[in-house]
Amino acid sequence: MIGSVFAKTLYDKRYFTLGWTIALGAIAALMVAFYPAMHQDGSIDALVKSMPPAFQGLVGSLSDLTQFDTYIAAQLFDIRLPLIAGIMSIILGLGLSVSDEEKGELRTLLSLPISRSKLFIQRWLALLLILAITLVGLVAGMYAVMPFIEEADIDIDVLARLLGMTGLMMVTYGTIPFAVGIATGKRAAATAVSIAVIIGSFLLSTFASAVDWLKDYEPLSLLHYFPAVDIVRDGIQWSDVMVLGSITVVLLVLALVAFRRRDIA
Amino acid sequence: MNTASIIRLSGVTKQFGKFRAVSNMTLEIEPGQVVGFVGANGAGKTTTISMLLGFLGTSQGEIELFGETILPSNAHMAHRQIGYAAGDMELPGQLTGAQYLAFLRHQRKSGSDEQYQALLKRFSPQLNKKISALSRGNKQKIALVAAFVGEPDLVVLDEPTSGLDPVMQDAFLDLVRGYKQSGKTIFMSSHYLQEVMDVCDRVILMSHGKVVEDVQTSQLLAMGGKHVSILTGYKATKPPKAAESIEVSEDRGVLRLEFVYKSDMAELQRWVAAVKQLHDIEISEYNLEEAFKSLYQTEETA
Repeated sequence: MIGSVFAKTLYDKRYFTLGWTIALGAIAALMVAFYPAMHQDGSIDALVKSMPPAFQGLVGSLSDLTQFDTYIAAQLFDIRLPLIAGIMSIILGLGLSVSDEEKGELRTLLSLPISRSKLFIQRWLALLLILAITLVGLVAGMYAVMPFIEEADIDIDVLARLLGMTGLMMVTYGTIPFAVGIATGKRAAATAVSIAVIIGSFLLSTFASAVDWLKDYEPLSLLHYFPAVDIVRDGIQWSDVMVLGSITVVLLVLALVAFRRRDIA
Repeated sequence: MNTASIIRLSGVTKQFGKFRAVSNMTLEIEPGQVVGFVGANGAGKTTTISMLLGFLGTSQGEIELFGETILPSNAHMAHRQIGYAAGDMELPGQLTGAQYLAFLRHQRKSGSDEQYQALLKRFSPQLNKKISALSRGNKQKIALVAAFVGEPDLVVLDEPTSGLDPVMQDAFLDLVRGYKQSGKTIFMSSHYLQEVMDVCDRVILMSHGKVVEDVQTSQLLAMGGKHVSILTGYKATKPPKAAESIEVSEDRGVLRLEFVYKSDMAELQRWVAAVKQLHDIEISEYNLEEAFKSLYQTEETA
């Protein structure tokens, strides 16, 4: 039986969760499968070296391709996941905040003995669990292919660090539309802020290495706090965790205060 | 103020930008009353109900339910004792009717299986299909079961029968009559005045965000009478003294005189017999629907 907002949210989002879990798993599997080609084929090195510096930022560092853990950190966690999982997190955050209100279902839920705080917290916890499930899909995709790929091996501690920080980044990405959406009830505002953050972060981090005047602004990018290759080599910087965690907590607190007071359309 | 009131609004105003949807509204509803809440579209009925349930906050004034002040942040406390259904209510489309009602019963944590089964028997809702796949009428049946399940002390209904077929409308009115017998309170907005007259003890008419009439149903019943329309060639014809809502027009030398008559019928008969050059006469029941329409129109033109 569906007895809570948390369970209902998971049930409502079951196809979304399944679809994105499979999608992230497939992307991870593909990236692992490409490792031999990237690792052994010198022509890719030559191709990347011939690119302008800004484009090299899109491809990642060549030195990262020599080891599987840095390869997967750079090519999957550093370049592709922030964009793909970021988009997924935004869609999810919007779905859990403004969609019900637009359909009129939020009023129906709030006509029951369910407090706004309880609804808010259970929805956000559902967001957390759905993102965690998709990350399980990602790991499953990697491990499904790794046994067939020579030298494709990653230390479990390294993987745990990468997943932990990826999860935190996805939670921050998902919390932005969730918080703006639930605080305002406006899809346009939530979408605009989220896209500005994700695309802005991606562009800023990608081009900062090549454009001098952008370097000073690079800490404004959320990706600045998710240096995947450095996480593999040097471990997690707790200052990065603090920044992403603080953004998430502050957004949640502000959104909860606003949601408890505002009119529901 | 009566502290035993189940609903109390004191000087409640709701402003959306420059538009004032509800203006300085004050009313009290005691336990056990069935109150009809009527008014033209845009009169402020749904806004009032939305504030009652805490979906909207008030711009000014205070709302109390069961003696507790209601704010958007604490309305859920009162919802343990409140059932709610609206004609345009959107139920969770991903769930089946059975799943939604189970979810709701779990939240409300009250009511017997017998009462639940009786409600299902009365409305025969389709429970095994996804709600999003149901017709409006079938969704409405589930919403009505949901409003009454657990026997809440107060049921708030916003145009509850829109979308229902006549058989289901009767089933609903029958349920309300039974609920009234058990001493529970119902606050119901409706455009169907006859159903309000059928089941309500008291009728509140709202217009332009204000309460303009607040009367017992028995007083409204006294508003009934005859609608009289005559065509006469005698242009000096005057209506009887007790006539109300008089309308006079003339077309090609023929005078049309229309009025509402609620007084002594023998007097009306004598007046008709005395009309000169009578071409035609039509006397029909002046029902409450018409009485309300005239009230609506009076308020619209005011």
